[in-house]
Amino acid sequence: MTRRGILDRRSVLKGGAAGLCGISAVGIMRPAYGQTNVNMQLSWLHSVQFAGSYIAQDRGWWDEAGLSVSLQQGGPNAPVEPPVVSGTALVGISAADYTASAVEEGAPFKILAVAMQKNPFVIASLPDNPVNAPGDLVGKRIGMALANTPVLQALCTLNDVDIDAITIVPTQYSAAPLVNGEVDCLLCWETDLPVAMAVRGIDSVTMLLADHGYAVHSQTYIATEDSLANRRDELVALLGGEVRGWDAYRGDTDAAARLTVERFPDAGLDLETQRLQAARQVPLMFSELTDEFGFGWWTDAAVEENIETLALLGRDVSPDLWDRSILEEVHGG
Amino acid sequence: MTGQRRGAGLLGIAAMMVLWEGVGRAFEGAFLIAGPSDILVYLGANLGLMVRALGETLGNAALGFVAGNLAAIALAVLAQLWPPSRSSVSGLALIVFCLPLVATGPILRILYGPGPGPQITLAALAVYYTTLVPLLVGLRAAPASWFDLVRSYGRGPLTELVHVRAWATLPYLFAGLQIAAPAAFLGAMVGEFTGAERGMGVLTIRAIRALDVDATWTIATIAALVSILAYSGLGAIARRVLLEKPAVILSAPVSTGRRRGPWHAAARLALLLGLTIGLWWAALELADLPSFFAKRPDDVWRAFVTAPDASATRATMASALAGTALFVVPGYLAGLALGAALAILFLLVPAAAAVGMPVAVALRSVPIVTTAPLLVLALGRGATGTITLVAVMVFFPTFVACLHGLRQAPGQILDVFDTYAAGRLARLVHVHVPAMLPAFFAAARMAVPASILAVTVVEWLATGRGVGALMALSASLSDYDMLWGAVVVVSGLSILGYAAISAVERRILSVYAAEQLGA
Repeated sequence: MTRRGILDRRSVLKGGAAGLCGISAVGIMRPAYGQTNVNMQLSWLHSVQFAGSYIAQDRGWWDEAGLSVSLQQGGPNAPVEPPVVSGTALVGISAADYTASAVEEGAPFKILAVAMQKNPFVIASLPDNPVNAPGDLVGKRIGMALANTPVLQALCTLNDVDIDAITIVPTQYSAAPLVNGEVDCLLCWETDLPVAMAVRGIDSVTMLLADHGYAVHSQTYIATEDSLANRRDELVALLGGEVRGWDAYRGDTDAAARLTVERFPDAGLDLETQRLQAARQVPLMFSELTDEFGFGWWTDAAVEENIETLALLGRDVSPDLWDRSILEEVHGG
Repeated sequence: MTGQRRGAGLLGIAAMMVLWEGVGRAFEGAFLIAGPSDILVYLGANLGLMVRALGETLGNAALGFVAGNLAAIALAVLAQLWPPSRSSVSGLALIVFCLPLVATGPILRILYGPGPGPQITLAALAVYYTTLVPLLVGLRAAPASWFDLVRSYGRGPLTELVHVRAWATLPYLFAGLQIAAPAAFLGAMVGEFTGAERGMGVLTIRAIRALDVDATWTIATIAALVSILAYSGLGAIARRVLLEKPAVILSAPVSTGRRRGPWHAAARLALLLGLTIGLWWAALELADLPSFFAKRPDDVWRAFVTAPDASATRATMASALAGTALFVVPGYLAGLALGAALAILFLLVPAAAAVGMPVAVALRSVPIVTTAPLLVLALGRGATGTITLVAVMVFFPTFVACLHGLRQAPGQILDVFDTYAAGRLARLVHVHVPAMLPAFFAAARMAVPASILAVTVVEWLATGRGVGALMALSASLSDYDMLWGAVVVVSGLSILGYAAISAVERRILSVYAAEQLGA
């Protein structure tokens, strides 16, 4: 990282990309006169998970601020960090643990805002064999990606549970193994697999890891130190739109779900699923803290808790990974 | 196809539909499989969505198919016209084919930006190698007397290529194209995992998460149907074009091993190594990719050799590799045996081909993410499931190549056997199988990287163990040194496996198909 600068790569890369794939490159650079074009890299496929951004775009709040924002969809093979490092995306949606490991590998990232104050990881189980507290995990078979073993380990350490008393079954990210009885519980997000089960008429019990000491900020907005130094106006405009969008989202999550489904007719989105998901992510994103200080805010105490949990995940993080200056400008102005 | 065979085929397919529907009904509520009736209902309700997604993915797959095969033809011609380049061309082509999607996907996305660029490129990368290998074999599959004829007219290699080799290679080209058709579609689908806005791959990800089994199986069925249609279409063209009976290729056995010393092989390996490192470094510098995720050769060297934690890094890699080897070796051998055996069975019992052919193509073209949960349920999460999935991926190219190879049995020799009223088995052992050997070994060589790709994809998407999972985990933790190191190790092992197969091949072909050897 220190060996090569990345500050001036943007223009070169865009030129190269345009040469390689002329047609699609024209698509990004919508000719809005006097507008600055920026990309935001989302962490997953389009869904109501990012509906605040769609609202900001739909109502022209970014245009008002002189910004033309293009939202780049993520996917299973689309990590967020490379486009942000290379400058093709000004901002990426990441999470504190991923950002911390990228920083350890030399990426100059800062966290500018936190959309999910509470980490969305849950243990999902069925009502007749529920996991309501970490102690209930003992003797259970849990379906999860092996890559997430550190998450389970951290939860066990935080709650004095012996991880060896839990059977880890490596599964695809799907609720099917739980429904057909291969496992007793799943490690998943509050907002996806439990929603999928609910839509199919299957009740489930979820235990939020964040309620048992697992403090890792999720859906965080990240940018490079270089952008923070040299593209502040664009960052303020981008996050300003996000804040307005998410406030509107909170006011009417059903409308946000409808907008999402209408905006992406080819994405195969189901309105009922999107409505449930939209409602379920509200308690993760909004709290008394955001009521007082505004969307995306965090406290120094929360940073301390994050650093402690991240240490359990093997990440050594310093508090200056979080930078509140852009958010202060957004909420102050 | 005769009426009788067609009847048997239709009957077989109908029986399979009934069986499928039965299994679908039996497992209702387990969210694992949808029967034909569920699929029709889903299709009726979501026709517009499916048609748009299919159009997107099919368009990208077609462009990738054309680009990848043109590249294969260009490389094969280069290797034939300029023989010294042959080993470097096939070596580099092998290395590029080995590059795992987990590593290439994000880089392609950054180079192309939004749009279909990565999908088309990944479809092209998925097909060019399985066309190149049969082509290189086909370009040599001509009787020496024909070349003597060309030379007696005072013409050179170019005339040879246009008038003799191009025609000799046509059957092999069609084998390559038929293998490529399902691979291109799957390549385009997996390419959509890099952040594409629409297409069948995007819908698959969504459907699996949403527990939408009907959608998952509808997409898989459409993917399989498209592949079967492309496969049979290419087969029909091949039957129209390839009218002549294959000629008798007589060539004197060549001795192997002693012609060139070990220095020659070492020099070729060193050249390949130098070229690889040079191209790797130059490509990343020219594209000006940040070394945060686009690691250069020296970065990988540092991480695995000179860094303070290098031994820990090597240990992580070694344990992942050991896990992968347990699955890939049996899967490879099983797939190879299955492919050759099925091709021979279809030759002996033509009626079996009518039913078995669509199943064989479908097995290859159904996305692994759809079938994996079902296979895992049937075979368990242990080794059997993974080995089966690898075998399924390996068996198809072997099967197609062997089928074409068996057809290369020279007509005149078969006529001789007919005169003596020799049975099917005698013809098989003495004519068809020897004629199949070059194609079989070509398949065995291509199957080396194919099996490694298959096992890493299964590990990445389903089992979460081994090198495939290590690569995915490294990407999500931004440990790009480990990711690129894995790429190097996987490519290196593929080359070694390839070289080992080639050594066996030279010994056997020196007797049965000596025209394949020599400079």
